[in-house]
Amino acid sequence: MSISESKQGFFAEPGRDGKRPLLTISGLSAYYSELRALYDLEFQVMPGEVLAIIGANGAGKSTMLKSMVGMMNRGKTAHITGTIDMRGRRLERLTTEKIVDAGVTMVPEGRRLFPRLTVEENLLTGAYLARCREKMNDNLEGIYDMFPRLAERRKQVVNLMSGGEQQMVAIGRALMSEPKVVLFDELSLGLAPAVVDGIYEKVKQINAAGVTCIVIEQDMKRALRVSNHVLVLLEGAVVLEGNPNNLDQDQVTAAYFGSDNERTGI
Amino acid sequence: MTSEEFNVELYWSAIEIANGLLTGSVIGGYYAMISIGLAMTFGVMRLVNLAHGDFIIVGAYISVVLLNFLPISPFFTLIIVVPIMFCIGYFLQRVLLNHVSVQAMERKGLSSNYGLMAPILVTFGLGIFISHLLLGIFDSDARQLTNSLAFSAIRLSDDLNISLLRFIFFGIGIVILIVLHLYLNKTHAGRAIRAASDDADISPLMGINTAHVYGIALGISMAIAGAAGVMIGMIRTFQPFDGPQFLLIAFGAVIIGGLGSVVGSLVGGILLGITQVLAGTYFGPSAQLVGGYMLILFVLAFKPTGLFSR
Repeated sequence: MSISESKQGFFAEPGRDGKRPLLTISGLSAYYSELRALYDLEFQVMPGEVLAIIGANGAGKSTMLKSMVGMMNRGKTAHITGTIDMRGRRLERLTTEKIVDAGVTMVPEGRRLFPRLTVEENLLTGAYLARCREKMNDNLEGIYDMFPRLAERRKQVVNLMSGGEQQMVAIGRALMSEPKVVLFDELSLGLAPAVVDGIYEKVKQINAAGVTCIVIEQDMKRALRVSNHVLVLLEGAVVLEGNPNNLDQDQVTAAYFGSDNERTGI
Repeated sequence: MTSEEFNVELYWSAIEIANGLLTGSVIGGYYAMISIGLAMTFGVMRLVNLAHGDFIIVGAYISVVLLNFLPISPFFTLIIVVPIMFCIGYFLQRVLLNHVSVQAMERKGLSSNYGLMAPILVTFGLGIFISHLLLGIFDSDARQLTNSLAFSAIRLSDDLNISLLRFIFFGIGIVILIVLHLYLNKTHAGRAIRAASDDADISPLMGINTAHVYGIALGISMAIAGAAGVMIGMIRTFQPFDGPQFLLIAFGAVIIGGLGSVVGSLVGGILLGITQVLAGTYFGPSAQLVGGYMLILFVLAFKPTGLFSR
């Protein structure tokens, strides 16, 4: 019974590193119709950290992020159980709009920009919420400072842009909602390695500004390098968790592929 | 033929063409009013609202009811008709059409293809229901919104006149178009409507409540349709079953102008109007409609996405 044994993770005690968690996820399970995709996830997200989620295809990484922003509450086709607590506020029953208003947003996989809108219009849709409008213009300038390329192309329709530029728009759009937590789903998908380096520089910059970041990354080495904390998912459950400095490569690889003797030996 | 006879002939040809262009343009403005709402739901939300024409007629009948106990000009009934139609549109979207959309079908675990087809069938049925409801309430007598301006004309020269009402409606149509264009492009709500139409799954991540935003969009579409209905009632008579003919005009203007473009519906409307008037002038009244359809077919054959498509 490897899966149920590992559901608690290795760092289940409250307040990892002596800090108060920003998000506390407990017993989170997700279902697509009859199919169960996540098994009782238990983990915490600390304020100001970069949390990396790694795992093979189909391990449930994207499902986990979608669950956290209310995109798995879709009636018959998808639903979640368990709790997502944000400093006393329960997010799991809220709609995506309300979760974003509470300060958690996502840069979706494949960027998912609004193709018929210009760069600037895409960014401004991010400031749709009433609480984001006051500082909208300042935030927009901030994003143009961070991504000067976007300032040059602000009037351009986004589907004519390169993948890297589109990713910049997607990140900027998420930042326009003044989030406390940003979930980045597969930032590097379909991008050249050099471009990915640049994008992760920006993630570091965003994190330095006090935004908590959760990243899904296929490249294990990169994930370990950019994060303060790592979760390894296997078949919908957390099999390894820890500070990347304290984890060795073999341990992570074993968890990633599920060849850990402790798990399979029972 | 003497040169004088030739000059007279030339003069009348010129008048005929000028008249065709002027009347056609002015009719085009009124066609644009009929089609802006459809252009918005069709082009922006990808909703094919087959009841659009019937809702235009509903607007005209609401005005009839108001005029029964208010001794005012039909113009002023717009103040009440437009908000009523907005509310009808908003609630129609929220209680009916949002439940048969692509997203709703996915929520129910059905193929999203149902979501493309279902709104067409629902609005088709709705159109039939509305026309019969109007028949039940108002009988089939032709109605008109009587007003003092119906027979006034603007006189440009001895032989060139345009209907004052149509000219006013042309102006109102352009104003609505400009306001709508600014709304969709420059306001948070307008951008939200466009964003939600582009990607309804992702727009909630911007804090956009898709159901609400779609409701507003259909509300605006219906409000404009209602205003068009009042104008139609002031120009000509109408009956409960007149909706589909306006739907055809609206589709014509939208196809010519371009599916994604609200501004295109004005140009489409004007081109349709001019073609109809000129065809009527040169080939007789029966050629009017045929001429218009020929233009639509022509555009579909050579630029199927419309003249103003992006």
